[in-house]
Amino acid sequence: MTKKYFDVAVIGGGLLGSSFAYGFGQAGLSVALIDEGDNAIRTARGNFGLVWVQGKGEGMREYARWSRKSADDWGNFSAQLSELTDHDLGYHQSGGFNISLDEAELQQYLRMLEGLKADAGEEGYEYELVQGRTLAKYLPGIGEDVAGATYCPHDGHVNPLYLLRALQEGFRKHGGCYLPLSSIDQIQPLKSSGFELSSEGRQVASCERLVIAAGHGSVGLGQQVGIRIPIYPEQGQIIVTERSTEQLAYPTNMIRQTDEGTFMLGASARDVGFNSETTTDTLQDIVRRCASAFPHLRSLRIQRNWAALRIMTPDGFPVYSQSEEFPGAFAFSCHSGVTLAAVHAQDVCRWVVDGKIPTDYRCFGPERFDVSTAN
Amino acid sequence: MTTQLPLCDVAVIGAGPAGLTAACELAESGRDVVVLDEQGAPGGQIYKGVEKVFADRPQDIRPLGREYAEGKTLTRRFRQSGARYQPGVSVWQITSDQEPDLALGLIENGSARMLHPKHVILATGAMERPTPFEGWTLPGVMTVGAAQTLLKSSRLLPEDDVVLAGTGPLLYLYVMQLKKFGIRPQAILDTGPPLSLRTSLLGLRALITCPQAMFQGMRWLWGAGVKTNMTRGVDSLKAQGGDHLSSVSYEARGRRHELSTSLLLVHDGVIPNTWLSMSAGIKHHFNETQNCWVPEIQGAGLTSRDCISIVGDAAGIGGAEVAMLQGERVAREVDAYLEDHQHPQTSIESGVLRRQRWMRSFIDEAFPSTAQFQSPENDIVVCRCEEVTAGEIRQVTERGCMGPNQGKAFTRCGMGPCMGRKCGLTVSRLMAQVRGVSVQEVGHYRIRSPIRPITVGQLADMESILKGDNQSVLSANSS
Amino acid sequence: MFRLRTNLTDPVTFSFEGRRLTASRGDTLAAALLASGVFIFRNSPVSSAPRAPFCMIGNCYECFVQVEAMGVVQACLTEVTEGMQITKVSNQIDELGMDIKEVSKE
Repeated sequence: MTKKYFDVAVIGGGLLGSSFAYGFGQAGLSVALIDEGDNAIRTARGNFGLVWVQGKGEGMREYARWSRKSADDWGNFSAQLSELTDHDLGYHQSGGFNISLDEAELQQYLRMLEGLKADAGEEGYEYELVQGRTLAKYLPGIGEDVAGATYCPHDGHVNPLYLLRALQEGFRKHGGCYLPLSSIDQIQPLKSSGFELSSEGRQVASCERLVIAAGHGSVGLGQQVGIRIPIYPEQGQIIVTERSTEQLAYPTNMIRQTDEGTFMLGASARDVGFNSETTTDTLQDIVRRCASAFPHLRSLRIQRNWAALRIMTPDGFPVYSQSEEFPGAFAFSCHSGVTLAAVHAQDVCRWVVDGKIPTDYRCFGPERFDVSTAN
Repeated sequence: MTTQLPLCDVAVIGAGPAGLTAACELAESGRDVVVLDEQGAPGGQIYKGVEKVFADRPQDIRPLGREYAEGKTLTRRFRQSGARYQPGVSVWQITSDQEPDLALGLIENGSARMLHPKHVILATGAMERPTPFEGWTLPGVMTVGAAQTLLKSSRLLPEDDVVLAGTGPLLYLYVMQLKKFGIRPQAILDTGPPLSLRTSLLGLRALITCPQAMFQGMRWLWGAGVKTNMTRGVDSLKAQGGDHLSSVSYEARGRRHELSTSLLLVHDGVIPNTWLSMSAGIKHHFNETQNCWVPEIQGAGLTSRDCISIVGDAAGIGGAEVAMLQGERVAREVDAYLEDHQHPQTSIESGVLRRQRWMRSFIDEAFPSTAQFQSPENDIVVCRCEEVTAGEIRQVTERGCMGPNQGKAFTRCGMGPCMGRKCGLTVSRLMAQVRGVSVQEVGHYRIRSPIRPITVGQLADMESILKGDNQSVLSANSS
Repeated sequence: MFRLRTNLTDPVTFSFEGRRLTASRGDTLAAALLASGVFIFRNSPVSSAPRAPFCMIGNCYECFVQVEAMGVVQACLTEVTEGMQITKVSNQIDELGMDIKEVSKE
């Protein structure tokens, strides 16, 4: 089973890698998904579960557009995946609220949204400021001192763990080959084309095309095929409460409710912005903000909290790269594996099949960092 | 508001024989010791309620047994030792080694606070091994330990229709105690295997080295068997009923039997309570003989985190006598460590301690864990909180899920309030069976704080004074 | 399940789901309820199946009850006091998100 030659091999069984593996399977390719064991650094476990558009893309219009496209595609993507696997992903495109606790925070956020709207031009950028009693109608229990919130109809949320499970299950149903307990440490480009992958001297698989989506492990793997991946880890913490009878119908930047009735509390919805290490003060920071926004949730028992190492890039946007030296090798890194799952499984898989990243998306290449330093 | 940093030399978590002994030794030698106890009075599970029994129900001392009464000597010594006792306190976190200080997160009288000890001794004791079988979530099904707790602390006695099932010394001790209170259970369903030659040889060694304990054990077994409906070789245990247990069914010698009852008490031995030590990031390994996870101990009680020691059953099941002997050794070790922060030469285990260990290896051999509970059938709920079945665990494992953490993410198994205490061992075992590897290789749930319930409000209001933290947190909290 | 105790020394009065009950001072809530013949403490938030204390040492979390002015507590780790009002934890999970209105269309 291990020495097979695959059309494509994906290194990394996290959200990103599993999205690609599922997408390739759907496209009818023979796929190997190569994963580590139970203790792999799994960024999906640290994901807040937002399929989020608002506030994204300041400084890179293409990223705003890309997030919006994925959010728009998410409905079909989710329906298809659920039907194939019979797993409910807990996906809802209800629209979402970005809550600003005080006036300064609100004004700063509004200025950013105005900027994004200006960037978008004719494409438009939908959001609405909601305050006071109107806000309380949509978010019952919201604290009286909360300055306001912005609503964006394209936002939604999903259970990231169920998403990961469904992607892997869908991949399996498409005939994909899952190879766990294999930490790839060597990529050997083959003479004509293709790659041979080994782990501690053991050959794991060979493939025509290679996708590196190994989170923090991508850096070293990319080097072996001439791809530079400028990412660094950032630790983020999430808190989950017990199942509750309280209700929160909309996801927000700091708290959302799952289908099971538990509440997830996080410091930020913009995928970035977790600003501290996994320490007691970070935990307190998260609960204090949430308790200010929703005082009635103070009595909820915390079920667990955890930290995950997230992928950060210098500008916070995805890094999509292809090897010039060894055509057929690609590396994808980003921290919005949930929001972008729909375009990753569809569009990005097509790029790999076609053999190159289209010109329109070269803006996500690592070369952008060279330009900025040259300037 | 100015606050003094709450400090102490040593914080002992747990007030059973191990914790109390260690606390006494350290306090008597002049250390500032704080004992944190979830219970309302010292004694742990084994000596639960001992002070109250002596004060209010002296007539119960005899039926509860000589070993129980010995607890009074220990609690009396503890009360005079100078150690600070804080009952009704739960520890929800030990700060990780990434944080600037060693600190304990406590919940006391409904609010959270931090304690900053120089050293922590975990004496969190044992808990009963999970026993998944059909109907085990029904009201009316409890553990033997639970019933014994009710007996010691509140003199609750079961009705005569009570049925006991499983194996292990605690089961027989409890039956013996019931007998002295004049209660003869309807049935004892022993799930253990017949004695093997090896077990008998280990028993002989134990008899020679610890005659007292062995005679006592035989008395329990004999006492339980006499005039009681005891059945050996029991399998396929089931609890049945609608909203509440109404009957128990089982197989013995190839035939199915059924008994009407309102109370079924199950037991399958005890395992170390490692939730706090695991959450503190201390290294653990799986002990196949005792069928449980144990922390890795160096010397008497030192762990992979220099500032945390473990003592008593929490470090590996040994019983109360071993716990007290170890309590003394660990106290000396911690005392020396606090002096110069060098790992001290560990004193050699005394002959008594060695003989106690031989006794334990006989017990491990004579009461192996029950096969039915180790490999539950597919439709049996293994995770009581999230109601995940053995079949779901097997399925995700067959589909490539390599361990309990990914399994938890995919099935919610272990995500409920008990945080895997009642399913962790079972899930790792099931996955190991499917994968054909050892439990050690499969691993255990990663345990994270809070390991005891804390509310959003309690955590938000907690005054956090970590020495390394001098910047105010980004907070809109108006209080 | 358990025998009812006779002539309690130093009794305290409390209530469960509006029923007036008595216990011995120093009893845990779990012991007090079991001794009063209360068999079902709560319903599972997953399936609504009835549940009751299982381990009595704080590890199974089956004995959660709601106490007036205290919130949800583990009955096996909480002492009963005079006048305590105890109820089952409400965990009826209603349909979520069904009343979502598009904010922009309001």
